[in-house]
Amino acid sequence: MRTPLIVLKDLAKRFGKRFAVNRISMSISKGDIFGFLGANGAGKTTTIRMLCGLSKPTSGAARIDGLDVWKDRFRIRSKFGYVSQRFSMYPDLTVCENIRFFAGAYRVPKHQFEERVSRMMQEMNLDSYTHIRAGRLSGGYKQLLSIACALIHEPKVLFLDEPTAGLDPVHRHRIWDLLYKVSQSGTTIFVTTHYMDEAERCSEVGFIQKGRLIAKGTPQDLKKRLGGDVLELHVEPAVAAVLELRKFPGVDAVDLRSGRLRIHAKDPDSLLKQWHQQWPFSGLAWLGYSWVEPDMEDVFNAFTLGYQFRPQAELEPANQ
Amino acid sequence: MIDSWNAILTIAYKEFVHVWRDRRVLLLILILPPFFTVVFGHAFGGAAIDDVPTMFFNADNSPESENFAKLLHGENIFTALVQGSDDPDKTQKDLDDLLQSLKETFTWKPWTAGNPEGPINLVKSGCQAAIVIPRGWGQAIHNGTPMPIRAVLDGTDTNTAPEVRALLQQALGSFQVNERFELIENLPVEVIDLGKQLSPDVQKEFNSSLTPWEVKASILYDPSLKFVDYVVPGMVGLILQLLTVTLIASTITREREAGTLSQLLVTPLRQSEIVVGKVLPYLIISLFLITGTIAIGHFHFGIKIHQPLQLCVICLLFLLCSLGLGVLISAVSKTQTQAVQFSIFLLLPIMMLSGAFAPLGQLPFSVRIFSELFPLTHFCRAFRSVNLYRANWDLIAGDLIALAIGAVVTCVGAAYLLRTAEE
Repeated sequence: MRTPLIVLKDLAKRFGKRFAVNRISMSISKGDIFGFLGANGAGKTTTIRMLCGLSKPTSGAARIDGLDVWKDRFRIRSKFGYVSQRFSMYPDLTVCENIRFFAGAYRVPKHQFEERVSRMMQEMNLDSYTHIRAGRLSGGYKQLLSIACALIHEPKVLFLDEPTAGLDPVHRHRIWDLLYKVSQSGTTIFVTTHYMDEAERCSEVGFIQKGRLIAKGTPQDLKKRLGGDVLELHVEPAVAAVLELRKFPGVDAVDLRSGRLRIHAKDPDSLLKQWHQQWPFSGLAWLGYSWVEPDMEDVFNAFTLGYQFRPQAELEPANQ
Repeated sequence: MIDSWNAILTIAYKEFVHVWRDRRVLLLILILPPFFTVVFGHAFGGAAIDDVPTMFFNADNSPESENFAKLLHGENIFTALVQGSDDPDKTQKDLDDLLQSLKETFTWKPWTAGNPEGPINLVKSGCQAAIVIPRGWGQAIHNGTPMPIRAVLDGTDTNTAPEVRALLQQALGSFQVNERFELIENLPVEVIDLGKQLSPDVQKEFNSSLTPWEVKASILYDPSLKFVDYVVPGMVGLILQLLTVTLIASTITREREAGTLSQLLVTPLRQSEIVVGKVLPYLIISLFLITGTIAIGHFHFGIKIHQPLQLCVICLLFLLCSLGLGVLISAVSKTQTQAVQFSIFLLLPIMMLSGAFAPLGQLPFSVRIFSELFPLTHFCRAFRSVNLYRANWDLIAGDLIALAIGAVVTCVGAAYLLRTAEE
């Protein structure tokens, strides 16, 4: 039995008349890497800020390790680390000074202090930047520093708000490798992102759209709930085809992936049948089609297009 | 407790590094306060009125008027005054002082005002005073119908006109006494003998009526009556008030703008620890500065420091209260720009109404109540009470309590606002 560590119950936040977060209920188990996915403005950051006790829930509640995120916010602060969306270290302090400051702020005991600081620098590959001012670091190292400062007190939960936004693939890789390592050591990770490939790396994923949680499950579950494979066409010239196909009735979205076109439609079978009978695009050459296994981006597209999914109960348990 | 103290030190160290690394601000902090103290001290501290541009016209040309003209120009024309006096040493000293201040007060300009008996335009002549000995003045003295000396003074400078007038009166008085003694000295022997026949009581009365009667004023608390003693505490207070509020007002808002405040607020640091940790380094810096500026007052302007213990407590509480005010502004404002604007609007009435340069007693009662809200008001009053009046604890207790309450209220308020600002 996996123990829920973070439990949200009807958690909501209203700004004026608009619900930024609309009654989200879910639970995240200990040891998970939970990916919180959604477009910009969907409510990811607001949710994370409420969970960190930085913003008061309008209604509903959330608990981390049994403690209410608002009422007990002073007590739970030592239980989690928070890496905000913006770089929020002190730019005029050196890497080492930043880490030491947060170690002090998190009340790391004196006898562990030095050991913890130097180990954290090592683990984050920050050794060679010890005396560089944080403001002069490159984006990737800034993020590493932020994570180091959020982990210095060995929290049970690490919240990361879009930690890889704006990073190059090499650094994104590094950050994820690091998160795996952190997860291995027993820390539960709650990470928001809008990179769909990163969702694949999570042990569990939640989709949020306009403040509502529209799906939650393991990446495999979610793909299964899509109810089958995705139609992929091979058409030349591909770029022109994207624009043409998007206008075709019945086609909801077209994605270009490695030269092939992924078609998102409510009824791809009938579309295919229709195109077999008569290919309506004179300027485009039909070179074939295939059914491919959906990836998280397809899932995300399907969710945002509002497709009907098979409810979770219909799926056979994954471990059977 | 130790935990809390360590947390406070962590913040304080970080804040100190912020200031230390911001070299431009650091330079301003270190250079401007002493610089302003020296400049302001020289600008406002010189209370002695000197070099008043004055025109003089002698329309009489009698020996008496010639003599008086010489006296005005600082020449010693006294022949009988010192010998005739009961206390020649003191009289000599008084005369020397008079001649000295006559020399210092007037800068003589050529007469450019036309007819000395007609209307005199001071502005046109570029003078602040015009003195005319009217025609027939010397003769009138001999005739027993003395005439007044004409003096035209510029009333816009409220300090200079009365000073010049008093000095003229004093010079004329001494001149008169000298004439009187000369007269007595030259009296025929018969008159002296006749006088000796008077009863001793009448003789004494006669003597007494001949010597000048005087008021012996001893000015307490400010023996030298130097304005600089009064003005320097105000200046030091004003500079420190401006500096503390503007410096610290941007600290929390800077973190709010940079997003580091959220990062701080997810740590187990308490709001109170954050506020105290932020105030502490600025308190140390400003204590250093206030000591420096007072030292300049002492060594450069010769201000004597009395009762250092009381002064230290006053300075400490004043700085705490000012920093509290700054932190409060910082907690209220959303951006650094806002913080600066708030500071300016707060500091403007403080500068005008706190009695840093002029005694508060001159303000109407309703405004005075308002000015009691400013830390600088209490600082100036307490500092002067101690340093000029040698007041003891009981006299400054009210101001100290006000400052202490101000410090606590502003800091607690800032800590509270820091909490609610994020909800």
